[in-house]
Amino acid sequence: MGTVYVSQDDSFIGKTDERLTVKAEKKQILDVPLIKIDGLVILGRATISPAAVMELLERKIPMSFMTGSGRFLGRLEPELTKNIFVRRSQWDAAGETPKAIHMVQAFVRGKLKNYRASLMRHLRDYPDNDLQKAIDDIERAIDSLATIKAIASLRGVEGHGSAVYWQAFPKLIRADGFSFTTRNRRPPIDPVNAMLSFGYSLLRHDVQGALNIVGFDPYLGYLHTERYGRPSLALDLMEEFRPLIVDAIVLSAINRKAIAPKDFTAEPLSKAITLSNDARKVFLTLYEQKKQSKFKHPVMGRQCTYQESFELQARLLAKYLMDETDKYPPLVLK
Amino acid sequence: MEPIPIASLNQYAYCPHRCWRMFCAGEFVENHYTIEGTDLHQRVHTVGENQRDETWQIRAIWLKSEQYGLIGKSDLVEEVDGNLYPIEYKRGHKGEWDNDAMQVVAQALCLEEMTGKSITKGYVYYAQTHQRQEVEITDELRDEAITTISEILQMMETGKMPPAIYGNRCKGCSLFTQCVPMAKEKVSKYKEGA
Repeated sequence: MGTVYVSQDDSFIGKTDERLTVKAEKKQILDVPLIKIDGLVILGRATISPAAVMELLERKIPMSFMTGSGRFLGRLEPELTKNIFVRRSQWDAAGETPKAIHMVQAFVRGKLKNYRASLMRHLRDYPDNDLQKAIDDIERAIDSLATIKAIASLRGVEGHGSAVYWQAFPKLIRADGFSFTTRNRRPPIDPVNAMLSFGYSLLRHDVQGALNIVGFDPYLGYLHTERYGRPSLALDLMEEFRPLIVDAIVLSAINRKAIAPKDFTAEPLSKAITLSNDARKVFLTLYEQKKQSKFKHPVMGRQCTYQESFELQARLLAKYLMDETDKYPPLVLK
Repeated sequence: MEPIPIASLNQYAYCPHRCWRMFCAGEFVENHYTIEGTDLHQRVHTVGENQRDETWQIRAIWLKSEQYGLIGKSDLVEEVDGNLYPIEYKRGHKGEWDNDAMQVVAQALCLEEMTGKSITKGYVYYAQTHQRQEVEITDELRDEAITTISEILQMMETGKMPPAIYGNRCKGCSLFTQCVPMAKEKVSKYKEGA
């Protein structure tokens, strides 16, 4: 199972029997059985046939539409599951409830623990690097989480921990020609931020799909407040996965020189950064490979792929909300 | 109260949590067992009647009981010498779990109310072995069915979810990946790393 990314402009996506086909410049560039697909991401300008759209919805395969540079535009979602009980428990926990506080603590803790593990791993490999202070700062932030019961304050801890991590982030970049001073977006104005934003867009497609399968309303979150058109719960559940998946891919693409500074172009005046077509393909391949890579799930104690773990974490979240378990365990990896 | 589907008795007898997922939460996922089952029922569920020797057969009719709040479709009803028997078709062979009998008893309760005749037995037909298994409709089975019906009615009314309990029957259950029945124990034992 995997996601199909269509990144060539003016492609035509159609359906032939039980297969999805993609044509561009009068050539067939993809022909894959629908049974092997669990998501479709269209980057840039492409046409999709009505028959293909219906078939994908019928098979509960979500479609996301992004600009060529990976900015999320919208989504075509199969019908929600009829499991009203999951949604009711999600709404019952909204606001400053003990459950919401528990979940916000878990989302933030998961993200900060994975941030910390990433910095520690780097420090092991490069002991000369000055990262210890950042690691200690993040550790203090993690330790403080359990005693804080106000969601606004938890957001503050999240903000502080993230700021420390992003300050340290340039030290993890070990290839020449990439500079990173601060996290910026809409639009990203340097190649590292451009890749991070692109990666988070792809991650959002996957996490939102998992939440939909389980029966959640992706627009009601706990850490992220309600705002029109913002999939807050998807953003909440993404937190623990950001460092594990996207930051890891960006760093490995840079440090292993899979993507180079010359693969980016900057717009005049706005300085908005765009990846070249080839670099975008490299990044998509890295992302898909990462999703299909296996690890031992610390809670379930069995091998699973990151792709499977999106749905598993969403199910664990539903179990916590429906009182089947007494806690939500975020995915924390060493 | 809304009548409950006869098929829910079978599911409830197998696993109350699965029954809740299917009939309360509206979840249903096909696996190869259910696809074979659906295919079988498509053939069986074509309304028709015929006479075979001394037996009058009628297929795919609606069954209903006001008294017990049941509704559903029968696979086959036969009449021999004025006696009616419900026959439920099943893929495969007689399973480890004695849930098919419940469904036959529920059909008998409907037929009794619809015709005023008393029904003493029914059958489960297993497609894999082409065998009919007789189900004697004892008072004990009737009581069990009636208890099950009232439990399901209550579950449907309240929406209250019976717990997911991990066991042998989870193998081959098409809702296994949604249910994650081991999660409760695994989560409670889990110690999060630093």
